Amino acid sequence: MIKVSSNLAARVKDTEGFNAGACFHCGTCTALCPLGYEMLPRKLFREVMLGLEEKVRARIPQIFSCLLCRMCEKNCPSEVHIADNIRTLRCLINRQEFGLK
Amino acid sequence: MAHKRRIGVYVCHCGGNISDHVNVKEVAKTLADEAEVEITRTHLFACSDASQQEMIDEIKERNLDGLVIASCSPKLHLFTFRAMAERAGLNPYQYVHVNIREQCSWAHTGDKVGATEKGIHITRAGVAKCALTNSLTPFRLETQPRVMVIGAGVAGLRAAISLADMGLSVFVIERGNEPGGWAAQVGRMGPDDRYGPDIVANLLEQIRKQENIVLFTNAELTAKTGHIGDFNATVRLHGKEDVSLNVGAFIVTTGFTPYEPRDGEYGWGLPGVVTLKDFRQMLEAAGGGRLTHNGIPVRDVGFIYCVGSRQTQSDTCPEPNTHCSRFCCMATTFSASLLHEFEKKSGQTINQYHLYRDVRTYGRLETVYSKARADGALFLRWDPTEPPRVERCDGRLAIKVKDTLLGNEELEIDADLVVLATGMTPRKNDTLKNVLKVTESKDGFYKEIHIKLRPVETAIDGVFIAGTAQGPKNLAESVASSLAAVAKAGGRLKRGFVDLEPLIAKIDTGKCVWCDECLKACPYGAIERVVCGDKEVAMVIESSCKGEGGCVPVCAQNAIDIEGYRNEQILAMIDASQKELVTA
Repeated sequence: MIKVSSNLAARVKDTEGFNAGACFHCGTCTALCPLGYEMLPRKLFREVMLGLEEKVRARIPQIFSCLLCRMCEKNCPSEVHIADNIRTLRCLINRQEFGLK
Repeated sequence: MAHKRRIGVYVCHCGGNISDHVNVKEVAKTLADEAEVEITRTHLFACSDASQQEMIDEIKERNLDGLVIASCSPKLHLFTFRAMAERAGLNPYQYVHVNIREQCSWAHTGDKVGATEKGIHITRAGVAKCALTNSLTPFRLETQPRVMVIGAGVAGLRAAISLADMGLSVFVIERGNEPGGWAAQVGRMGPDDRYGPDIVANLLEQIRKQENIVLFTNAELTAKTGHIGDFNATVRLHGKEDVSLNVGAFIVTTGFTPYEPRDGEYGWGLPGVVTLKDFRQMLEAAGGGRLTHNGIPVRDVGFIYCVGSRQTQSDTCPEPNTHCSRFCCMATTFSASLLHEFEKKSGQTINQYHLYRDVRTYGRLETVYSKARADGALFLRWDPTEPPRVERCDGRLAIKVKDTLLGNEELEIDADLVVLATGMTPRKNDTLKNVLKVTESKDGFYKEIHIKLRPVETAIDGVFIAGTAQGPKNLAESVASSLAAVAKAGGRLKRGFVDLEPLIAKIDTGKCVWCDECLKACPYGAIERVVCGDKEVAMVIESSCKGEGGCVPVCAQNAIDIEGYRNEQILAMIDASQKELVTA
């Protein structure tokens, strides 16, 4: 059982660079990701929005592995700015906010 | 038998649909030997204009008094050929349709000998029936230009205005104190943000301007006699005074009852667990101030979808509502955006968690769902085998849910409010049900004749259903169906008369001893007890009888026949179909 927290969610809500609300979980992004991580980026964004900090912390290597190739973004039916979201997350992690490092 | 009949038998190839598997020439040749058959022919397409003209010419030339066409299903062309018979000067009820396509060639592909034999058997039965047909005339009944609308919600009010616009008089009867129904109570409505009370006020304003609409409140229909075009309705006002109204048709727009959750269902009964309607009233009451519950500001709100809809049977839910209530996904996602709007205006941070099974915001309503997501509402999908649980925890509510979108990860959400999106259930009204005699579908809503092709007509001629009385609908769909009912009712009444099928029950009063079995068997209330000479007998109310035939087998005296399906006809058909084939 993981507790949903609105802290991380509220922080990313305020960040102009992160928005995955339009995602309806079709999984196109995951299927296209050349790195083949099954959580990228659909589940990761969901975990961020639900404030599952533990989970997000465990994904740091994958977050930094992203090639920013935008293959997913180009094909996203909901036009989520996936690459911007990943970069915003990297910023948050680098600033050591919310214990993300 | 009065005289030898002169029957024409036409066997159709239906292109190759029939003739590929049935030797139609053989069928025609064999049938020519029947005593009452004057002529047999085959046609490539009997339904084509040219073939019909040939048949018409032949009927006239040879003075035929019976017609059998062995072709497709009567659902396709019975009325085509009845009309053709009429054009040829033949009584349309002396035409008999034999189905050698669906019931023969298509059912026995690859067995040409067998299919041909069967084709002969069933066509012979058709001829035997045809030989015993009578010339019949439809009943023409005068209609009254008045309609009663039952239920003054938006569907009923809208119907009343349109009927009045057509020049018909309308009585609207409403059981409650006030007209307006649910729309008057829900406030802002999706998808395009219309204000419910304004919609209702606008309709009532139009009704006030119409001279030929009378609106009764605290009124209930307690009795109905008569038939389409001419019903006598008794309406009880304020539970005491009865008025009698003469109308040509009824439109039933009695609406729905919101689902009431069981104790403990998704935490129902715990403080802070509310229905969507309650929540919307709280939000409206908060206005530009703060949204609080029990004096504490609300920060986290969980919405649970499909409450009371799409249920499966279980020990706790012995009579499940298996239907989707259609409006709740849109109403809840629309509420998400209203809550977001409130958040922005008031500065109060509110997190929304929407726990759904499937979001069914179909068609244009998808934009409402998209907007809710863009507004920051989070959607978590649960599996019906593991529904979310709501518990009281440290003075707040805890929702435990397995999110299928995170691979069934079990999450706990702390919330100040849990909002249940409760569905629609059929409105229970036994008095009305007994008076109208309209059948109910499996889910308990009033049942239409055909969900796709006759969606507002019922088995009772002259009684139409619309809006959520027929099944869950959103407001736009309710109004569309109420206007459909207006078109059907108005269409029937504006002609000034109705023609009814003469294929109905006939009672031999000599044989009848009035045992009331036929009365009990009739689902249409078409049997009446009358005094005939020195005894009581049953009489058929011709305008109410549908020729359904339930009364025939229960009659111990064999006193009832259905015209067009008389016992002697059926017996003759059985005999004819059993006659052995003489193979050349």
